[in-house]
Amino acid sequence: MIGARVELDDRRLESPLGRVSPVVKLGIAILWLVGLALTLHIVPPLILAVAALAAGGSLGRIPAQTLSVALAPLWVAAFGIGVSNMLFATANSDPLAAELVHIGPIRIAADAAVGGLALAARVIAIASVGAVFTLTTDATHLADSLVQQARVSPRFAYGALAAYQAIPRFGEDLTTLRQARRVRGLRGGWHPGLLVGVLVLAIRHADRMALAMDARAFGSGPRTFYRPLRWSGLDLVVGGGAIAVLGLALAVRS
Amino acid sequence: MAASNLSIGHRGSDRLALDGVSFELPAGKTLLVLGPSGSGKSTLALAIGGLLPREIPASMGGLLSLDGQEIRGLPPTTVSARVGMVWQDPDSQLVMERVEDDVAFGLENRGWALPEMRARVPDALVEVGLQGLERQRSRRLSGGEQQRLALAGALAPSPDVLVLDEPTANLDPAAAVAFMARLAALRAEGSTTIVLIEHLVEAAWPMADLILALDGDGHPIDVGTPAEVGRRSAAKMRDVGIWLPAAVERRIRGIQLAERPARPRPERTPGTAPVIEARDLRFGFDRAEPVIRDVRLWIQPGERIALVGPNGSGKSTLARLLVGLLRPDAGTVRLLGDDPARLSPAELARRASYVFQDPERQFLATTVEEEILLGLRFVERASARLLMGRLGLPLERFGRRSPYRLSGGEQRRLSLASALVREPAVLVLDEPTFGQDRLGYEALLEILDERLADGATLIAATHDTRFVADATDRAIELDGGWVMADEVVA
Repeated sequence: MIGARVELDDRRLESPLGRVSPVVKLGIAILWLVGLALTLHIVPPLILAVAALAAGGSLGRIPAQTLSVALAPLWVAAFGIGVSNMLFATANSDPLAAELVHIGPIRIAADAAVGGLALAARVIAIASVGAVFTLTTDATHLADSLVQQARVSPRFAYGALAAYQAIPRFGEDLTTLRQARRVRGLRGGWHPGLLVGVLVLAIRHADRMALAMDARAFGSGPRTFYRPLRWSGLDLVVGGGAIAVLGLALAVRS
Repeated sequence: MAASNLSIGHRGSDRLALDGVSFELPAGKTLLVLGPSGSGKSTLALAIGGLLPREIPASMGGLLSLDGQEIRGLPPTTVSARVGMVWQDPDSQLVMERVEDDVAFGLENRGWALPEMRARVPDALVEVGLQGLERQRSRRLSGGEQQRLALAGALAPSPDVLVLDEPTANLDPAAAVAFMARLAALRAEGSTTIVLIEHLVEAAWPMADLILALDGDGHPIDVGTPAEVGRRSAAKMRDVGIWLPAAVERRIRGIQLAERPARPRPERTPGTAPVIEARDLRFGFDRAEPVIRDVRLWIQPGERIALVGPNGSGKSTLARLLVGLLRPDAGTVRLLGDDPARLSPAELARRASYVFQDPERQFLATTVEEEILLGLRFVERASARLLMGRLGLPLERFGRRSPYRLSGGEQRRLSLASALVREPAVLVLDEPTFGQDRLGYEALLEILDERLADGATLIAATHDTRFVADATDRAIELDGGWVMADEVVA
């Protein structure tokens, strides 16, 4: 939803997963996604999803309720993608395919069912990894870590952080512009002019922000860090554990 | 710091924003810059901060120097290391998520060593009275606290010069006074040179060592000590629309315009149908923390209502609820007998006009002329032209400009004009006098009087105590979403 922005309580930030370097977590997420691309089976993505959720709940201290609320729309999406792929797979029209269900005009081949379930499992895995990452990672910590540990340019990282902070503002801009149209007697809830308006406001906000950052000497020379980050044993343990889980998940398929 | 014959023109504009300004400001002293809206005050601030012409394209003539060195010639690092800036909108100057990170941001950029940063950040927070809030998220602070945080961020690197461009414009009266008190303490230390642009002249005037007064075209009217400027140029400053402190006004009373005539109060006849009736309104963006709690209101035709209260007390939210721009979680609103949220846009526009707090967020067109004519019938166009002239925005001169390129005060008047040009039963104005110089203010009062003479109702959410006294007859005070007081304005 527009306007939603994750705000973490300190308890979660001080959890082991909250303290792991965001770069490590980002690395794990990317590695797992690449790993998922290597298999078409149902079980490996489910193992990764369960591992991510278990880590989030225990090491990340994410309350089960928060996690389920965050994932609810994605469960629905996973279900929809699974079912539609099951129903409309080309395997269903193959007269030789092993038949699983045949009710009236609906015929689902076994291959189609497996394909649909595998896709759904994949969506669940990606969503779970993404949710655990966002629910245990502070935006400032992520930007600091990208700059200090992954050598990302400060201009990009802190610029993106400032933009991220402004997300709720875009939602407010849109609401106000819609109200302004209505009270001036203009019809149409979603006039294209609104998008232009939101864009203009976003650019103006970015301009002012850039000016304020420049006035505070941003990008004027070498930077020091108020929160110096170092690699820790925890990063090694979590990173190693994640690789082991991925290896295990991929091994299960055979 | 010194300026001699400084002239600045923004690229794409045919007139100069500042024209022939000169002053000499000794180190540790305070310069107060006064001028009507559009007089180039903000342009001067940007030039002192070295951001103009470096970041914003502009042509510059004359000299502007810091310790004898021309600011234009200094590398950006040197200028930003020596000059701190504070603007009016906290939302666009706080960079980091948490209070202490934001204060440290400017130090990191200047390459301070960690132990020095650790020592300096808490000190800077103490200087602005925000100690104990280090780990707080800056979005969770009140408007006044955010603005003091911006001040802490600018002060942390101990700049030689501090430039403040209307720092209290978004603050409620109590927060504004608290901010000015911090500034006065800083001035008393005498180690920082301060350039202040401020409309709260009552508090700012006594703080000034030097006053620079500009007219509407960016020409200097006078430069001197407050006493000199008050003696020599008070009348002239008044005429171009500059607010003066009451003590200075009293001295030039001889030429002062007549006091505003007392208005007849609307008769409160029991039994007349209300123009707005609200019952047990409750509203919250977040269910746990309602912004409006159990508000009941009965508003008669012709009443002039001020919604007052601190930042975040629910004034704007209540104003939007009363004309159906928001739907209450509980309770009902009736605007002339109907639920305003269910009216068609055309019917709503016939019954109510609304001016939003931030003028920029309500512009729907790309030029000033399109903006004011938007949705008007052909017969209303002549009166729109007339109105724009009276508000100091004649279409011949301003019509083709982009609404976003106007000064803050001009933007406010354009948004007011787009509401005042219609003749609805209810006028809702959120901070109508924001950033207005005296001329804009007087024009607004005059036009409001005309519009309200034939029975229209005014609801104004405002921090401006002068406007409450001059233009309204009933003040409803909100705090934390509750109605705390509902009384006749004396």
